[in-house]
Amino acid sequence: MIDAYFIHLLILIGIYLILGISLQLSLGYGGLLNLGHIAFFGIGAYAFALLSLHGFPFALSILVASIISALFGWLLSIPTNKLKGDYLALVTLGFSFVVYAVLLNWTSFTGGAFGLANIPRPSFLSDNFSFLLFVYVIAIISYIFISRICGTRFGKLIEAIRDDELAARSLGKKTLKIKSWGLVISAFFAGLAGSLFASYITFIDPSSFTLTTLIPILLIVIIGGLTSLPGTVLATIVVVLIPEPLRFLGFSSSVIGPLQQILYALLLLVIIYYKPRGFYGKIDLE
Amino acid sequence: MDIFLQLLINGLVVGSIYALVASGFSLIYSTNKFVHFAHGGVIVLSSYFLYWVSAILGWDFYVASFLTILFATLLGYCLNKTFYQPLRAKKASNSVLLVASVAILILFQSLALLLFGADVKTIALPLSNHSINIGGAFITPLQIIIILVSLLLFFALRLLMQRTKIGKAMRAVADNKEVAEILGISAERIYGTSFAIGSAIAGIAAILVSLEQNITPLMGTSLIIKGFTGSVIGGIGSVPGAIVGSLFLGLAENFGTWFVSAGFKDAIAFILLFLFLLIKPQGLFGNKNNQK
Repeated sequence: MIDAYFIHLLILIGIYLILGISLQLSLGYGGLLNLGHIAFFGIGAYAFALLSLHGFPFALSILVASIISALFGWLLSIPTNKLKGDYLALVTLGFSFVVYAVLLNWTSFTGGAFGLANIPRPSFLSDNFSFLLFVYVIAIISYIFISRICGTRFGKLIEAIRDDELAARSLGKKTLKIKSWGLVISAFFAGLAGSLFASYITFIDPSSFTLTTLIPILLIVIIGGLTSLPGTVLATIVVVLIPEPLRFLGFSSSVIGPLQQILYALLLLVIIYYKPRGFYGKIDLE
Repeated sequence: MDIFLQLLINGLVVGSIYALVASGFSLIYSTNKFVHFAHGGVIVLSSYFLYWVSAILGWDFYVASFLTILFATLLGYCLNKTFYQPLRAKKASNSVLLVASVAILILFQSLALLLFGADVKTIALPLSNHSINIGGAFITPLQIIIILVSLLLFFALRLLMQRTKIGKAMRAVADNKEVAEILGISAERIYGTSFAIGSAIAGIAAILVSLEQNITPLMGTSLIIKGFTGSVIGGIGSVPGAIVGSLFLGLAENFGTWFVSAGFKDAIAFILLFLFLLIKPQGLFGNKNNQK
């Protein structure tokens, strides 16, 4: 039988994989430096938690939570459609601050700093091994879906817009609409990952959806290499497992948290300096 | 009327704290032209440095304050030399520098958390013990000092940018880097100088914030977000604008509590940030050339 802790790590890898490939769609393929990804993850997690705490069935809650997240992606895309580069990064970052402030302060609805506890998990997923299988089924479906749409006309178009928006527009392509769709689909899968996270952990609070959590997700996409989905899979495994040796060195858990963050931040700095294209990246971060 | 006066005072005090953060940040932005979020990280490490020297080593507070400003200056200068300059040399885009600065912010906060733990630290000075009553509203001597320091910075930085040789060189690089370099101004040196001056102001901010509020590892993020918001409102890249924008932000947050519950102060700030970025990206006082 597989060790319980190992199962936990595998589930995290599955959830981060969905987050990574969905960010790959907006950041890699779309070239949109979207720092609001963590907010969509949070919106999905909270929407799922609130729906299932109010008695909605599991599958419906996941679907609706992902759609709510996608709707926010659409809303964010309306004002940000014409922005690019670091300016877009700042607005999307601002969006994630607004979402965080609302999660933290709308106490009657989101539970505020105490978060939401006892999020129900359906009986067929009550043990972690079956949850693991469930996460991987979803992760594989998400992977196939995203790699398929990146291969279609839509994928080619969004890459063309990333490389030269003016040229794409002069060929009569509806660039704004395509970029919106990129963000919407990306937000949908981030929301899906958030739902899985909430139902797995069964407790969420706003602190899981801050800048600190954004670092490993960015790291996954950059280490994997922009526009490389197989690279993202490899990077997810590396990023989730890399702090694990810390646990075996006998540090206390209050030390492991900050050490892990330091490790991720340093790794991100080293990667963008020495190997900015990661494992299999084809383009640079603009 | 009492409530109005108290909100006005609270708004000015909070706005002045934001202004302390925003002025250094904005000074660095004006020449370097990228968003240095790690400015918040410099403030966190400087605050803990002050705590370490004055509370743990037990040195005189004023000596410790002086050392803190020195520490912040060096930290900012080295940060530029070790992280940003090599990235610039590789022609990294502004987006890459932004990602690097977020990573450095998280790095510094985690370092503070690792070294000093998550519990709140305080530095006590008699300055904040008694309040002065002004027409029914209360203000502490420390808060008066905070407002005065931010006003002083407003004039000092204006003077620095307009009148001194280094200030003129900084404006030249900010305006047109290539032409400035042809005229013999080393852009890298100006970048280094603005990091040093901006971070020295971060040191001053760290001292006053440590006295007025508590020291926590996560204060860096919240301070830089507010300082950044103040700079955007005032016109990013304009140092006096950043100070006025920050005061505006402090007042807007506090008077906003008349309409929504106090917990939503942060939401007010972020919504302002969001609106300014989208609708008026050049801010209240920024010139059009600074906008992207």
